[in-house]
Amino acid sequence: MFTTRRVLLVGAVALAAAGCTRETATIIIADPDLSDALHTARTLAHNAEALGYSDIAQDHLTHAATLERLLLPNVVAEEAVATFADAAALAEAEAEASIDAVYACLGTDTDFAVVFGEIAASRAAHAAVLA
Amino acid sequence: MTAVDTGLAAEYAAIYAYGAAAVHLDGDPRALAEELEAEHRSRRDALLDYYDANGLEAPSAEAGYDIEPITDAEGAQRLLLAVEERVTATWRAGLAPGPLGEREICLDRYTESAVSLARWRLAVGVAAADPWPGRPQ
Repeated sequence: MFTTRRVLLVGAVALAAAGCTRETATIIIADPDLSDALHTARTLAHNAEALGYSDIAQDHLTHAATLERLLLPNVVAEEAVATFADAAALAEAEAEASIDAVYACLGTDTDFAVVFGEIAASRAAHAAVLA
Repeated sequence: MTAVDTGLAAEYAAIYAYGAAAVHLDGDPRALAEELEAEHRSRRDALLDYYDANGLEAPSAEAGYDIEPITDAEGAQRLLLAVEERVTATWRAGLAPGPLGEREICLDRYTESAVSLARWRLAVGVAAADPWPGRPQ
């Protein structure tokens, strides 16, 4: 639902001395799963706050802040987010987002695995208490 | 000892603790405690099936576990909160990159544990939201 998994964000092409030298350009490719997780965290935070679940929104904002830090310098810009009608829709979105994070956790052999796993567990817990 | 071994040991300890604590509870907390104890037993059984299916020797449960004496419902609730936090932290430790099969088991059990922890927190009047379930403080 939220994933644009295979979209690679290519950013920060840094040319030393504004391209006036023969330095090699450095291309930093953002992890697409981190970017997807960030977009989802922002969407869930927005909706949880709008529906009156400030504590859950705070969890997502904490996730977003961590993901932004991990993505530096390629933090994706804020986008328009989907809106959920009620707690049941939010719970469903939390459950789906948890599964996305599970796949991200199992799909990486980097240290990000732990963060994805923690986010998956947190979202699953939200879904359970909202249900 | 693998992460799955450690997780199974945590599930054994949780089952023991629920057996000692649940009798001090009444009403909704008692019903939830019985439900969560059943979940720990299901996880234990699924893990034992995993050991069997892979020809591995499962660690055994201890004859007893060192828990604080429980005299009332408040003590029982406090113990079970600590148990759920410990189980969640134990499964979380298995998320780090390693053999994929083991990591998948740990992730599944960790996610389930985080749900159990949130439900128990809610039942005993503690805030359920937690951005990093089981992460050491």
